[in-house]
Amino acid sequence: MTVLPNTPVFSVEGLWKVFGPKSERVPLDPELAALPAAELRSRTGCTAAVRDVSFDVRKGEVFVVMGLSGSGKSTLVRCLTRLIEPTAGAIAVDGEDVRAMDRTRLRELRRHRAAMVFQHFGLLPHRTVLDNVAYGLEIQGVGKAERRERAREVVTKVGLEGMEHRRPGQLSGGQRQRVGLARALAVDPEVLLFDEPFSALDPLIRRDMQEEVIRLHREEGRTMVFITHDLNEALKLGDRIALMRDGRVVQLGTPEEIVGSPADDYVREFVRDVPREQVLTVRTAMRAATHAEAGTGAAVTPDATVSEAIEAVARTGTPARVMDNGRCLGVVDSDALLGVVAGAAPGAAAGAEPRKEAV
Amino acid sequence: MRLRTTTAAAAAGLLLLTGCGAADMTEQASPFANAQGARTVTLSVQSWVGAQANVAVARYLLEHELGYRVDTVQVDEVPAWDALSQGRVDALLEDWGHPDQEQRYVVDKKTIARGGDLGVTGHIGWYVPTYFAKAHPDVTDWKNLNKYASQFRTPESGGKGQLMDGSPSYVTNDKALVENLNLDYQVVFAGSEAAQITQIRRFAQEKKPFLTYWYSPQWLFEKVPMTEVKLPAYEDGCDADPEKVACGYPRTPLQKYLNADFARTGGKAAAFLKKFRWTTEDQNMVSLLIADRKLTPEEAAKRWVDSHESTWRTWLS
Amino acid sequence: MATVTAPALRATLPGVLKHRAVRKLLLLALVAAVLAPLAHARWHSGTWPAALTVDLTDPLTHVSDWIIDNRDSHPLFLYFFGHISNGVVLSVRAVYLFLLAAGWAGVTALAAFVAWRTAGVRLALGTAAAFLTCGLLGMWVPTMQTLALMVVAVLASVAVGAVLGLAAGLSDRMDRALRPVLDTMQVLPAFAYLLPVVLVFGIGVPAAVLATVVYAAPPMARLTSLGLRGADKEVLEAVESLGATARQRLLTARIPLARRELLLGLNQTIMMALSMAVIASVIGGGGLGDRVYQALASVDVGAALAAGIPIVLLAVVLDRVTAAAGRGTEPAHGRPTTYALLAAAVAVAVAVRLAGRLDWPDAWTVAVAEPVNRVVDWMTDHLYSGVPVIGGTADWAGRFTTWVLDPVRDGLQGLPWWSVLLLVAALAWLIGTWRTALTAVLAMAAIGVLGVWEPSMDTLSQVLAAVAVTLVLGFATGVAAARDDRVERLLRPVLDVFQTMPQFVYLIPVVALFGVGRAPAVAAAVVYALPAVVRITTQGLRQVDPAALESARSLGATGGQQLRQVQLPLARPALLLALNQGVVLVLAVVIIGGLVGGGALGYDAVFGLAQGDLATGLVAGAAIVCLGLMLDRVTQPADRRAKKGA
Repeated sequence: MTVLPNTPVFSVEGLWKVFGPKSERVPLDPELAALPAAELRSRTGCTAAVRDVSFDVRKGEVFVVMGLSGSGKSTLVRCLTRLIEPTAGAIAVDGEDVRAMDRTRLRELRRHRAAMVFQHFGLLPHRTVLDNVAYGLEIQGVGKAERRERAREVVTKVGLEGMEHRRPGQLSGGQRQRVGLARALAVDPEVLLFDEPFSALDPLIRRDMQEEVIRLHREEGRTMVFITHDLNEALKLGDRIALMRDGRVVQLGTPEEIVGSPADDYVREFVRDVPREQVLTVRTAMRAATHAEAGTGAAVTPDATVSEAIEAVARTGTPARVMDNGRCLGVVDSDALLGVVAGAAPGAAAGAEPRKEAV
Repeated sequence: MRLRTTTAAAAAGLLLLTGCGAADMTEQASPFANAQGARTVTLSVQSWVGAQANVAVARYLLEHELGYRVDTVQVDEVPAWDALSQGRVDALLEDWGHPDQEQRYVVDKKTIARGGDLGVTGHIGWYVPTYFAKAHPDVTDWKNLNKYASQFRTPESGGKGQLMDGSPSYVTNDKALVENLNLDYQVVFAGSEAAQITQIRRFAQEKKPFLTYWYSPQWLFEKVPMTEVKLPAYEDGCDADPEKVACGYPRTPLQKYLNADFARTGGKAAAFLKKFRWTTEDQNMVSLLIADRKLTPEEAAKRWVDSHESTWRTWLS
Repeated sequence: MATVTAPALRATLPGVLKHRAVRKLLLLALVAAVLAPLAHARWHSGTWPAALTVDLTDPLTHVSDWIIDNRDSHPLFLYFFGHISNGVVLSVRAVYLFLLAAGWAGVTALAAFVAWRTAGVRLALGTAAAFLTCGLLGMWVPTMQTLALMVVAVLASVAVGAVLGLAAGLSDRMDRALRPVLDTMQVLPAFAYLLPVVLVFGIGVPAAVLATVVYAAPPMARLTSLGLRGADKEVLEAVESLGATARQRLLTARIPLARRELLLGLNQTIMMALSMAVIASVIGGGGLGDRVYQALASVDVGAALAAGIPIVLLAVVLDRVTAAAGRGTEPAHGRPTTYALLAAAVAVAVAVRLAGRLDWPDAWTVAVAEPVNRVVDWMTDHLYSGVPVIGGTADWAGRFTTWVLDPVRDGLQGLPWWSVLLLVAALAWLIGTWRTALTAVLAMAAIGVLGVWEPSMDTLSQVLAAVAVTLVLGFATGVAAARDDRVERLLRPVLDVFQTMPQFVYLIPVVALFGVGRAPAVAAAVVYALPAVVRITTQGLRQVDPAALESARSLGATGGQQLRQVQLPLARPALLLALNQGVVLVLAVVIIGGLVGGGALGYDAVFGLAQGDLATGLVAGAAIVCLGLMLDRVTQPADRRAKKGA
């Protein structure tokens, strides 16, 4: 299959998932489509889990879908491989229409191109770790010796060496999720789909697992779609974040954009307690440099976080220059940096326009 | 489409079944018969001990003198005819008279053959314990029964006297009799002979009065002497209409019946069973050993066989 | 009528239900106010009006005669039932011959091997001991006959049950269609199954096996479906997300995930098959059941026990082995050991065979019958009557009959029929939903239409009395066991054994103790139902959320307060389940009580079997079914269905 380099891995356009009787009429009827959830339920008996959602997942990125429970994020990720049949809209994977796939083609998609990691692991309790990891390959019809060989490699990769012959019941939560991850990796998919994979784990183990994902992503550069209700996790892992509420995407952008320029009060409330200086980059606080400033002071990169800039400013006592390949883009001074920390609207910030739609 | 597939499958299934040809379930022996090369005879035992005595002796002789293996199955009287006709039982050694069944299987279908008299005459009647009859001699006439109704009262019979009946499988007209003779009695079914015997012995132990449906030959008479209450005399046909019966029970020469095939091809066993014929005393002796002394039927049979060789020798010839 | 009962019922219900209960009752009272006078005016009589009955005697007699006359000629029998019957006979025979050919030593060794493989050394020794005991009691051949019958019946039940369960587990429509049927079959007394199969197959092993299959397959089907449906949704989703085909999903995930339920189903099927195999002796099933049946005919408790013990041993062994398999604690044995032991088992079998000792040696039997009978005689002699102060057992039975059974029966039979229907409706609706109420009322009305209203009320009165006694004793024992570990430890083995005992064995001792009549039938029913009630009560009380108990304790509640205010209210579902189970089990034995003078429907059913009068028997059987259905629905908590679906 030839894939243009800039073809998105997943392209979702106007996606709807409505549960309930005669659900297909809801997206078609503009009046119904506009109703709030409670009213829709009382009028039609239907619940819209995903409403008119559009986004692209670019090759190699970690795309996070973030929202509270009931926001429709888990439904959304299941629609991608039609584990849940969407009600309306278009989904394309590498340019191929997913909704038009027949059963065989769909199975091929699930077997080879997108593998999923589940919140409660979804392991088969009667199989050993090794056989669980090899399960996806077994489904594909790979021979026993070969699939075990490959499974063993993946088991090593996720750090479960020596536990191949245990049963899931004998593992800790973190170990189980490593098995879940290994099972998804074993089929060498194009995309990994994570459905709140770490929310059932203890905080310390969760952090380990997040590091593990970051490491894997760094090593393999695999595209990932990551569902979470944990904002910190989203900010930590996501290249871009789609924030969902009541089935809609309320804001889609980089972590910096979400924190720096919340699209509405809901998002603002959501990100209120985030340590902004660790998420926002110096671009947020940057102003044009006066001629004098452009020559002196500490230098930071445009992607440096505000907290790094604060450290630099504190050290030198003068505004820091934002340098990109030797060119001075602007400066950040202590007032501006403090303003970011305090949460004052960075009116001067450029390039932080909230973008609902990223293509 | 799916419907058609299902229909086709069903048709195919039926064909498969019919492909094996017809299977007459009325000619299937018991799966436990003829195991390990032994020739097996399956005998029906009814639930009363007299019948057990017949079977015990027949079994003992078949096994020890003729080298058969004997299976016994407990079947009630009427179903036993059906089982006999189907060949699941080879012989029935004591039948108290079932004209309907005889007409159907022996005369019409010819699947059952008569096996001759057992030699014992059976009689059904109403009995009171002898100790009570001695104290109240007039109780032995049915006309005086109402006078004693209050003495025969039990919690089960409510305000009336209790007439105790036994197993539901037994031949009985008692409900109709009580009604037609205007007796102030309630028929209470013990439900099984075992229950009835237990109850009778219990009454006897305490010398309580009781009135019961009972029959002879029966070993219990040896333990609890009972006197028959005279009912209106039996005449031929007086019990023709079960609703209007107002007479006592007949005396029945007990009969043996054999499965027709078995009677033809059963060899020595069939010949032996046809000749099997003994007396009321013989039967009672074995019954008593089984039911009262709690001997196993086999031991009881052995004792009788050991002491009555002249009787059974003639059956084997 | 409804208005009279309302206050009493309301008082027993917890506060939450109050207003809902009142609404239901008001509605019912309204309906009653309209319908009752109409019914009363139209058919003015206490019992069911004759105008509303349908006499089925003639048609049923015709059917039964037709079947007997055509059994050897009509194609339906020759080409369908005949083959089924043939198949059963051939397979039972094959298994039986195999067991005989293996010889007593071979069977014992193989059984011990299987037990060892699935459940470990201790059970293996127990199994061997159990089989040897069967031989010692002189019951080897009957045990093998029962085993042969059981093997075939259980295999057939499992096959039928698994197929139905698969269908119900995979298709919602099948599930909706099958579940009510299976639920209902589960609560029917075993006795009700005998008549229809006898009608078709006649007395004998085929009928016994088929009755057993019909009786034992439902739990397998229900648990299979439950297991398939109860599988972890996320696991199934994970499997699907990996691109599994439907077949792969079924074979690699759904069935293995349902393993526990499947084995539990097997376990229950085996237990039900065993209890039915004993009852099936009434229709010529042979084997151990037949020995019990024959021993009962001569009031030989000892001999009945000699045949009953192997049944109990078989039951306990089969129960423990399948339960161990269900827990999945398979001991990790190396293959060499397994093969070595299998070879050893075969070697034992061959050695004994070569030694010509295939049959159990006659000399090795122990006569237990006689000592047992002496004990029984002594008990009955000394306890029956005239015991100072408390009176003898016969006096109790008499008083129970006069003061409890008679008033209840007379009351039920004296009540106008429509008020009984109303009462049933009110009770069922209060405990359950309007659906259960409707089913209960229809079942009750069916009894009236069948023309067996009076005997059914009689049976019902016995059931009610027995249930009341069972509940009082069962709840008291259950509470004691839940509060004291020692009591529970003492009770457990007793309960285990009592629950597997064949119902028949209970009948004669109760006759010896209580005489003949309804009282012994009730006593046997109480003894039979008690273990289940005690067990469910204990479990229910013990499973009460420990946090709730702890908080009550922290507030300084006394033991009694904890029990009254926390444990009992929280265990309400379990207590209702205990009631439901108690009713179902009591009914089963009250019916068999027809054999000891219980009379009523049980007597009719026995009469039908014994006299070949299938019309009477089938009508009684149908009434028993209706009564069972009614009693189950009346005691069925509203949330039972919801829970089952989960």
